[in-house]
Amino acid sequence: MTTRVAVMVRLALRNLRRQARRTTLTATAMIIGGTLLMFSLPIADGTHEDWIESAVRMGTGHIVIQAPGYLASRKIDDRVPAGARRVAAEALASPQLADEILDVVPMVSVGGLASSPAGARPAQIMAVDPLAEARFSILDDRLVDGRYLEPDDRLAAYIGEGLREALDVRVGSRMVLTTQDAAGEIAGQLVRVVGVYRTGIPEIDQAVLHVPLATAAAWLGTNDDVTTLAVLVRSSRRVPAVQRVLRRSLEPIIAAGDLDVLTWREASPELDAAVKIDDFGNYLFQGILFAIIGLGIVNTILMSVMYRYREFGLLQALGFTPQQTGGLVVVEGVVLTALAGLVGIGLGLFLTWFFFRNGLDFSFAWNEEWSFSGVVMEPVVVPVFRTARVIQGLVFILLVGAIASLYPAYRATRIDVAESMKFER
Amino acid sequence: MTDNDRVAVRTEGVWKTFKQEPEDVHAVSGVSLAIDAGAFVAMAGPSGSGKTTLLNLMGGLTRATKGELWVAGRELSAMSNRELARMRLEHIGFVFQAYNLLPVLTAFENAEFPLLLQGMDDDERRQRVHALFKRTGLEGLADRRPGKLSGGQQQRVAVVRAVVGEPALVLADEPTANLDSHTSDTLLDMMEELNRELGTTFVFATHDPRVMERARRLVRLVDGAVASDEHRAPTAVG
Repeated sequence: MTTRVAVMVRLALRNLRRQARRTTLTATAMIIGGTLLMFSLPIADGTHEDWIESAVRMGTGHIVIQAPGYLASRKIDDRVPAGARRVAAEALASPQLADEILDVVPMVSVGGLASSPAGARPAQIMAVDPLAEARFSILDDRLVDGRYLEPDDRLAAYIGEGLREALDVRVGSRMVLTTQDAAGEIAGQLVRVVGVYRTGIPEIDQAVLHVPLATAAAWLGTNDDVTTLAVLVRSSRRVPAVQRVLRRSLEPIIAAGDLDVLTWREASPELDAAVKIDDFGNYLFQGILFAIIGLGIVNTILMSVMYRYREFGLLQALGFTPQQTGGLVVVEGVVLTALAGLVGIGLGLFLTWFFFRNGLDFSFAWNEEWSFSGVVMEPVVVPVFRTARVIQGLVFILLVGAIASLYPAYRATRIDVAESMKFER
Repeated sequence: MTDNDRVAVRTEGVWKTFKQEPEDVHAVSGVSLAIDAGAFVAMAGPSGSGKTTLLNLMGGLTRATKGELWVAGRELSAMSNRELARMRLEHIGFVFQAYNLLPVLTAFENAEFPLLLQGMDDDERRQRVHALFKRTGLEGLADRRPGKLSGGQQQRVAVVRAVVGEPALVLADEPTANLDSHTSDTLLDMMEELNRELGTTFVFATHDPRVMERARRLVRLVDGAVASDEHRAPTAVG
């Protein structure tokens, strides 16, 4: 068996070399396909990483620790008690996880009302630790006026440009925040605007504001309770593994209903859907591209089978079974696509390599404030290299080669050996 | 010596019918023959007499419509495609009019091809091919591709390929048709020598009078049936 496979590979390689023009044409199509595949996949992965990074730094983190009902209610009643928060913090600091975790940010996030003499607007009040938040969030980077919150701030607020315009306030102005406190009473708090940001996302700029966590603790009576512990993980690909470990460590308090551990996919289903839809679009494009390439390969290999009709008959006369004759055709198709695919993948990675450091600048196509689904689209996309993508690409190309060879191989198995000996080329 | 050892190929009431409009064509019509091991047999007849079809039937390249056909003591019609392929590999060698060497392999690689498929180890395989190349005057041509060989040289390589596995039967379909008279004589000398010294059974389908002259048995076919069967000399073996 091994000998026959070796014979098939040897014949395949020699035949590919013999039919140089045909081989070059087919290989060129596959090289172009492989190049596009390996250029577009890291770009798509880089784009998704940007979206995820942008979204997780807007508040959810890669992993969100919160009370089980909070995702649906967004109410202060569904919060993580101080005791459970401490246990979670200890689990995150354990040797098993410490290296995986970049940051853990506590916050109290509730819906409320922001009002000024000019009017009132609904607001998402996020009480944060100014130091931790400055490391974690991208909102402080989007400052357009004033400054971000500082550790000593007490009655300060950092608001979006949309909210500032709606309330007609400026840095130094006072405004009143109203929401339900921990006791279930309506509670108001006077704050002073210390800074204004702009993300370009209207739903954030018009609603999200930051106040110090200490202010909320006193104002809302939450003390050390939080609604959310946002966890930033070193690599987004490690999120499921970190979630598994955390869930195991926190099993007793999860079972007690004090908290739940969610990934960004669960906490931001709309972002998850956006990534999946974009992936689907990319796969569909690749599928169509490779279907066209595959049809070209089918045609080329079929022509080759017809041209070598007598040769395939001879192989059967010498002892090949019809299946082995078909196998030879598949081996030729797979060897050709594998070699061409490897060149294409190499070329694609070589092209992408130029952009791994500085990224690919799409600012000619969209400006800096383009956003969707609560995510800012960065005009510069840095491709992400993943070994798994190279393996997936190669396997995909091999599959295309094998599938494209199947029909010509079938035709080769149907050769009438006696007739083929009369065949003149 | 058993009957199976003595008879290389035997046909009993073999028919081959091709479906065709307006009426079916009987390429072979009830042929019964027994060809001894070590025979040097020519099947002659005009075009369309059925000699190539009978040869193809003996080689398991096509299946009989009716009748029974034994090669090396095994009945072919009951065999699966896989078994037929194995049968051809181990017991039957072919020489074709158009040489039919694999163009991507060298002369040596073409000759050793059946042994490679049989899984014979490298040393024995090379030794066997070298010995036959020496015997047939192909030394020095081993590394040439078929395109760089003359017609006679290609046909000699094809004969070596046919006998290298020491098959029970070598079937040669018009092996001299594309060769000049001198080259044909040389090739026939070589085949006679291999028949005599190795005891390989040769069955030819031919128009060539030179082949008919040298054959020790001449079977004449007309319209797919045996018209005459002339035994001229004892077979080389048995």
